[in-house]
Amino acid sequence: MGSATTTTTTTTATIPVTVDGQTIEVKPGTTVLEAARMLKISIPTLCHHSAVEAYGACRVCMTEIEVRGKKRMVTACNFPIREPLAVFAESDATKRQRRGVLSMMLARWPNVPAIQTLAKRYGVQNPGYKHPLRNEAPDACILCGLCVKACSEMVWEDVIAFAGRGARRRVAMPFGKQSERCTGCGTCAYICPTGAIKVADEKNNPVDPARIRKYGFRLTKEMATLDDSQCKMRRVGTAHLVEIMDAYDLLPTHNYKFGKHAEIARISSPVWTSLVRQNVPDGCWVGCQMSCAKAVDDFVPRTGPYKGRKVLVDGPEYETVASCGSNIGVFEPHDIIELNFYCDTYGIDTISFGTACAFAMECYEAGVLDKRKTGGLDLKFGNATAALELLHHMSRGEGFGVLVGQGIRQMKRIFAERFGGDPKFLHDIGMEAKGLEYSEYVSKESLAQQAGYAMAQKGPQHDEAWLIFMDMVNKQLPTFEKKAEALYYFPMWRTWFGLMGLCKLPWNDVEPEDNAKWPEPNKVPGHVEGYENFLSGMIGGDFKIQDILKMSERVYNFQRVFAIRMGHGRREDDRGPYRAMGPVTAEEYESRAERYDGQLKELVKVDPAGKSTAQKMALLRQYREEQYEGVLDAVYKRRGWTRNGTPTPETLKGLGIDYPWVVEVVKARMAEEGSA
Amino acid sequence: MSARAQRPPKERRATSARAARISARTLDAVGRKHQELLAGYKGLLLVCTGTGCVSAGGFVIRDSLKAMLKKRRLDKKWLVVQTGCNGFCAMGPILVVQPEGIFYEKLNEKSLEKVAEEHLVGGKPVKASMHKDLATGNPIAKMAEIPFFAKQQLIALRNKGIVDPENIESAIAMGGYAALKKALTTMKPADVLGEVMRSGIRGRGGAGFPTGAKWESCIKASATGATGESNAQAVRPSPTKPVLVCNADEGDPGAFMDRSIIETDPHAVLEGMCLGAYAIGASEGFIYIRKEYPLALERLEKAMAQARERGLLGKRILGSDFAFDIKIHRGAGAFVCGESTALMASMEGRVGEPRAKYVHNVESGYMGRPTVLNNVETWANVPVIVEKGGAWFGSIGTGDVAKSPWNGSSGTKVFSRVGNIANTGLVEVPMGIRLKEIIFDIGGGIPGGREFKAVQTGGPSGGCLPKSMLDLPVDFDTLAKAGSMMGSGGMIVMDDRTCMVDVAKYFIDFLKDESCGKCTPCREGLIAVSEILGAITRGQATEALLGELEGLCDTMAVSSLCQLGATAPNPVLSTLKYFRDEYLAHIRERKCPAGVCKSLIRYEITPNCNGCHVCARNCPTNCISGDKKKLHVIDANACIKCGICRDVCKFDAVRVG
Repeated sequence: MGSATTTTTTTTATIPVTVDGQTIEVKPGTTVLEAARMLKISIPTLCHHSAVEAYGACRVCMTEIEVRGKKRMVTACNFPIREPLAVFAESDATKRQRRGVLSMMLARWPNVPAIQTLAKRYGVQNPGYKHPLRNEAPDACILCGLCVKACSEMVWEDVIAFAGRGARRRVAMPFGKQSERCTGCGTCAYICPTGAIKVADEKNNPVDPARIRKYGFRLTKEMATLDDSQCKMRRVGTAHLVEIMDAYDLLPTHNYKFGKHAEIARISSPVWTSLVRQNVPDGCWVGCQMSCAKAVDDFVPRTGPYKGRKVLVDGPEYETVASCGSNIGVFEPHDIIELNFYCDTYGIDTISFGTACAFAMECYEAGVLDKRKTGGLDLKFGNATAALELLHHMSRGEGFGVLVGQGIRQMKRIFAERFGGDPKFLHDIGMEAKGLEYSEYVSKESLAQQAGYAMAQKGPQHDEAWLIFMDMVNKQLPTFEKKAEALYYFPMWRTWFGLMGLCKLPWNDVEPEDNAKWPEPNKVPGHVEGYENFLSGMIGGDFKIQDILKMSERVYNFQRVFAIRMGHGRREDDRGPYRAMGPVTAEEYESRAERYDGQLKELVKVDPAGKSTAQKMALLRQYREEQYEGVLDAVYKRRGWTRNGTPTPETLKGLGIDYPWVVEVVKARMAEEGSA
Repeated sequence: MSARAQRPPKERRATSARAARISARTLDAVGRKHQELLAGYKGLLLVCTGTGCVSAGGFVIRDSLKAMLKKRRLDKKWLVVQTGCNGFCAMGPILVVQPEGIFYEKLNEKSLEKVAEEHLVGGKPVKASMHKDLATGNPIAKMAEIPFFAKQQLIALRNKGIVDPENIESAIAMGGYAALKKALTTMKPADVLGEVMRSGIRGRGGAGFPTGAKWESCIKASATGATGESNAQAVRPSPTKPVLVCNADEGDPGAFMDRSIIETDPHAVLEGMCLGAYAIGASEGFIYIRKEYPLALERLEKAMAQARERGLLGKRILGSDFAFDIKIHRGAGAFVCGESTALMASMEGRVGEPRAKYVHNVESGYMGRPTVLNNVETWANVPVIVEKGGAWFGSIGTGDVAKSPWNGSSGTKVFSRVGNIANTGLVEVPMGIRLKEIIFDIGGGIPGGREFKAVQTGGPSGGCLPKSMLDLPVDFDTLAKAGSMMGSGGMIVMDDRTCMVDVAKYFIDFLKDESCGKCTPCREGLIAVSEILGAITRGQATEALLGELEGLCDTMAVSSLCQLGATAPNPVLSTLKYFRDEYLAHIRERKCPAGVCKSLIRYEITPNCNGCHVCARNCPTNCISGDKKKLHVIDANACIKCGICRDVCKFDAVRVG
């Protein structure tokens, strides 16, 4: 059927298109509808929406065109322009077909406003026959298919589809039953032009569902249309970050000594794209449109209890590639996947394992440990077999695994006490704070991130603040005050996601198309606005970002008070190891000597020429540690805490949590410190 | 059979070479060996086992015949060969005795016994089971002399009734895969394309698009990389290896050309696809066949298995470097899945709905890959075109296709004819043959002494052509100009007891049910047109509604997404054009001239009645009363207008008014 002539497309040149006498140059593949809209010429549509692929079903956009001297009728919404053509958006032939189509629709759905409006525009009257399926409801389903397309292309679920043919065609869930996979995300209801789909949210019972859906849809649309050109979270997941971090010298390598590695290509995203099942919806929860979780099918481990059997591995995501890969010197993707699999299987966090293992490996290479002490494990960087063996030992509570399993804070103590390690060296390279292992970013060149890590309430995890690009790359936080402001805003903002039980990734791993045009694009203001409306629509009221930050601040301060009551929450608890701040070893310094020498000259105002590496390291360390203390002071001040990190009674009062038993805790700490 | 084949066979068992792969060098020997095997028999007994004859008892005849031979110890003298559709379906079950070509029809166990005894043993053909000349009633002994066969010219059906579709050697013996051998040993892919281009062959599936041009576009798209939109959601892989599809989703009511070709000669289709794959550089092909064709599917699967075993499909075909294999996709029987884009959506595991074809399948078809889709009959023609040359094929049919395939309709076309026609069945005739030749000369005219009224060509969305059009030459362009179409070759003949409004409504209702419902004009247009036609047949319409009807048809024809909707108005528009008086009679006089539309007719008994009571005995509602030998009367209130009384009356005493 139809003709099958092909026209070759030139991809570079533009093509002239004339719409009702006005000419415009368009890229090949632009649709007639898009070209007309560029010229502000209206072509009616019912089944078209910019968030989904053109469907060409309603036929309301029938338009006369002329190609190579031949006139024909096409649907404007999906006719791709591949050669020069003229469009007659309102010719007699165009109008006649639009009238014919609208008349058919009007016969069946006489009271749907979207149809009535177009019928009026084209002077279409009710036809003389009675449609046997006439439906007088103003919110009747007009079978445009937008909901079906949205569920498939935007939500990636295909919960709804067309069932039945011809006159029996209708939108339905499989077998006409409520599908368990439908989360009531409301995308279909939102995109529906007639209001035929109603979302009955009896579980959440939101105050203003329409308000929630409006902002929810915006995010869904961004995921569907922008992700491929932004973070590729749906197609690749977080593993796309590996090569980016390497490029910025931020990828933890050999226990955070370095930020990049020559073998990076072996663990970059093309490798993961080939190993990991892609392009399928795989969210942490059904209905997530970001769906960045990825899995490796039919993986066969080479060690451990599952050796030789086919298993499914959930991941790896970026942090696992860094922790179980570069940070322990492993650049073999299969070994990273195997470490990932056994960490998951044993219930061990991949970050804590990788960072603890990296610490043990550096101790091994520095001579603190030897084979006798590790029970025969040759814990050199890059020895994946030893790392796997260590992991199996940990799971069984055997040998050296018992020591590593207790974490870096205990290892530091034990290695000093039993193996005669230098406590200062162990403290400098042991990447933990508050007893938790560091997550996988090198923070040496970002003062704000050093504090973001070490000051985080639960320990050095970046979920309170990720400021490296703002601070180090884009230099947006030049002063202590600016850094302190960021360390107020972002921890409070990010804490709020925890309070709500929401994932943070949709906030800034996809951004509105116009994000850069807003003031402070780092905050993704368009999305902040969405969350304000989400909260307001859910529980009523009209919340703004200040209200949201206040909610978090109450919880955040209460957490600090709790830490104080437990004997923690002091200034010293907010300091990290020096490895997180600067070069601990001469090897580290030398690897970036140019950068550090420059900093000595410009920032410390000393001439590095003629000085030994040890002298230069000491000068740099003194400078960086002073800087860090400066940040601590500024942040405490901004948060309304004392110089030792204790929330003052005034701060508690301002937040409305000055309950006597709370105030009592801070007063006791202040008295103890003599700072009352 | 060749002179060579007449020599007594040295080797009786045809299976000596079984499972051995065939190379270009050994192909002829395999064929010769099979011919020698056949020559060792006194004759062949060709039993038709196409679906038509099978439903009339073809398999029973085949098995009984085998048993009879065995009983008489004749099974080493006569070989029973089950063949695909002979074509003369009206006369099944059919047996043809070779080498003389004696044609026996409408066989049953008793008449078969007689044939076995008198002909096979006694050597005297049985006149009683022969075909009778329609005019004289005289028996015609030889198949070739029966008018039904005489005017046919066989290309696609070249092996019908001769080869055993379940035996690849039988096909090879009749020249199967010789064209593939020729292509792989002496031709470049471009040469194969050249012959197809020269032949001017246009797609046999309906639209008549030139096959050569389609292949050429696909080759171009594969080379440059497809630039079109993706059908599938997944991102299309950038290397664009073309795919080849055989459309065996024949869905027109009353059409069985493709089914019969596969049941008769599946290797013709496979060989055609191999040649196509060689020409366009594909290594992967699909056959989309509907679930309702179990026998065709079974034979196709057997043929593919044998072809694979013998090295005619898969890797290193005929010992060359050429590799190509075919997968079968079974359709669930939706009419719309015969539309190429809907078919591919169905193959991709999605809802069988068409998409806009602004980007053609040759650029972006199955899984976004350049795809050539041709129908069964087209593929079956390809080996003959390659073997005998495009120029030879182009010399058959109408117009001069040497310069452009659009100048005419070359080759032959297979038609399945059903309805009020004496010789229902399958025929293959040269393009340009006149309608009346197909219907009267080959088809034997209208049975029961009734008048020809109209013929509907091209399936449900073809048009109905009246008596005045019987001289029309049958080719793609002439039929389209007359308001009908070639379609895939279905032909429904109607006599004077047919109401054309009712016929139009029948086809519209079929299409209404089969429309996928994706686009507004097809879905809503068919509902509305059906509603209006219903009102006309009930005598509830005004003339103004005819205007609405024509408006709806115009919107459907121009604005529908695919050809199902765009051609759906044909039955209405063609009947309005040629039988407008009949519409007006329904509207103005509230009468159905053909006596079909129940709301507008009543049955009466005329004085011709001699009171035999047959009608009263057969009436399902017992509404006919009257004493024996006296004029009977129909109670109009109880009559359900079923027409049985009229059919059973031997005295033409029941009148419809």
